[in-house]
Amino acid sequence: MLGLSAMSVVRWREDRGPLLIPPYLKPGDTIGITCPAGDITEKEIQPAVQLIESWGFRTLTGNTVGKKDFIYGGTDAERLADFQQMLDNPELKAILCARGGYGSVHIVDQLNFSPLLKYPKWVIGFSDITVLLCHIHANLHIASIHSKMCNSFPDDWTKAEPVQIASILSLRQALSGNETMKYTAVPNPQNRPGAAEGQLVGGNLKTLETLSGTRSDIDTAGKILFVEDTGEYLYSIDRMFWHLQRTGKLEHLTGLIVGGFKVKPDDPGEEFGRTVYDIVAERVRPYGYPVCFDFPVGHQKENYAFKYGVPHRLVVGTDQVNLTESTQTVTS
Amino acid sequence: MIPPYLRPGDTIAIICPAGYMALERAQTCIDTLRQWGYQIRIGQTLGGDSGNYFSGSDEERLADLQQMLDDPDVKAILCGRGGYGLTRIIDRIDFEHFRANPKWIIGYSDITLLHAHIEANFGIATLHAPMAAAFNDGGAEGPDVQSLRMAMEGKDLWYSCDPHSFNRTGQVSAAVTGGNLALLAHIAGTASAAPTDGKILFIEDVGEYLYNIDRMFRQLERSGRLDRLAGLLVGSFTDGKDTVRPFGATAEAIIRDVIRDYDYPVCFGFPVGHSGRNVALQTGVPHRLSIADESVSLYCPGGGTTS
Repeated sequence: MLGLSAMSVVRWREDRGPLLIPPYLKPGDTIGITCPAGDITEKEIQPAVQLIESWGFRTLTGNTVGKKDFIYGGTDAERLADFQQMLDNPELKAILCARGGYGSVHIVDQLNFSPLLKYPKWVIGFSDITVLLCHIHANLHIASIHSKMCNSFPDDWTKAEPVQIASILSLRQALSGNETMKYTAVPNPQNRPGAAEGQLVGGNLKTLETLSGTRSDIDTAGKILFVEDTGEYLYSIDRMFWHLQRTGKLEHLTGLIVGGFKVKPDDPGEEFGRTVYDIVAERVRPYGYPVCFDFPVGHQKENYAFKYGVPHRLVVGTDQVNLTESTQTVTS
Repeated sequence: MIPPYLRPGDTIAIICPAGYMALERAQTCIDTLRQWGYQIRIGQTLGGDSGNYFSGSDEERLADLQQMLDDPDVKAILCGRGGYGLTRIIDRIDFEHFRANPKWIIGYSDITLLHAHIEANFGIATLHAPMAAAFNDGGAEGPDVQSLRMAMEGKDLWYSCDPHSFNRTGQVSAAVTGGNLALLAHIAGTASAAPTDGKILFIEDVGEYLYNIDRMFRQLERSGRLDRLAGLLVGSFTDGKDTVRPFGATAEAIIRDVIRDYDYPVCFGFPVGHSGRNVALQTGVPHRLSIADESVSLYCPGGGTTS
């Protein structure tokens, strides 16, 4: 185990310089809220604003919140300007994307991320925001947070399901940095047992595929990859896992985490005849690393905050599945 | 490299390297090709019932395709249909015999992967064209199937289409390349992605969400496949789906906006795609594209030589 650990540390430092971890948030720190992709109303972000402020943080609502240009939270120029302002603002310690949808790829090439090197801050989101998390990981090697966004905060905290509450509280934990992140998953008989260490990278599978060949594409060698998706046909999920393999993203992993996959039912007469488990098992058969299914990450209520790019340890056992942040990254 | 064009008496194999197709759906195609004077070899995957989506297991589909690639008597391989499945076997195909003895590979949609892979790795021309079902319901006498016949026999081909207000005028001679947008996006970053520099790119798709067309087309741009084109032919984007909240742009407007900064000629509404017209295009073979305000033409000289 020690040998594995040492190797993964070397690999992650080889990548693009040492991983930069933004300062964790202290009470009174400010989190910006912006819409790089889909639109959201001011009212819809209130549950998130109120809860985050109850944690002792301040929020700064960007002017894309409440804007709407068809499916987008404002025009490309407006979304670009809002996000850029937040990157440039030294007072902000985190940027929470209000929701996913579609549109980050319209602005990612115009954004100037270099202020992040001067004023590192946490960029937070998932789904379409996978574009930004991948881009930041690939080009700046700064940690970010894969997490639920404003649109997933419950209107009524007292009526929210326990897993939804726990998922949102995990964002607070990730931002605060005073505890090691620990996750467990229900063991799935399809899992492949083993232990792995590596940087945690990945995100929405379809989005990962559409970043291939671009400068936002991530290198997965020596890392733990997590993937999730929603609303895709099985044949499309199969094609995307083949894509991962054919772009060399499966061969040199240390571990694979398969999150939620909400599958679109096959059309009559077009039965694919394989499950997500079958699809993944076929693709990872040549490799020896651990694989776990139904991990609580994805487009479902149970979707814990992951520190993206940060080294973690994955242990897939027959009785339990544990993912734990590697302790050397936690500051006191 | 251009495979030998076909002459009556030659053998054409029909296989299904991806999705299932019932044999009777291909009967008109078989009869028509025989009337044209060709011999037909029916692969085991045409009508091959795997009990699921595919026309056979990966091994069966691979073996059928491999056999037709390796058989010196087979001068062309017509894919019965697309669907999904070439990705699963592409890296296991042995192209050694094919490289030394090129033959025409015919199809579109999922077959885009085979065209691109062959172009990227071996520089051999292929035929992006209607498949077996296009012969049904009178299609055999229609202009698209006739263009397939003329293309595989190496005749002069001349296509035209209506002007479109988004078109950008110009004249250029270059090889054509392209196919289904979802497949072109899917192969980005893989060994099957064919370079597009200096070429006329054609694209089409069916049944995709508009936001996804936007995302895939931007992937082409971000992976460097749009900035050094000689020209662009935008085919049909049909049965497009929209999100609950409207996307606010048609496929054509999406494409027009992404390529705004480039100055090569562009034609919208070119007769290639899943619905409406779908003419035969020889990938890798030089074509002459002329886009004027009042007319659009694409010319492929017979025998595959530039004029």
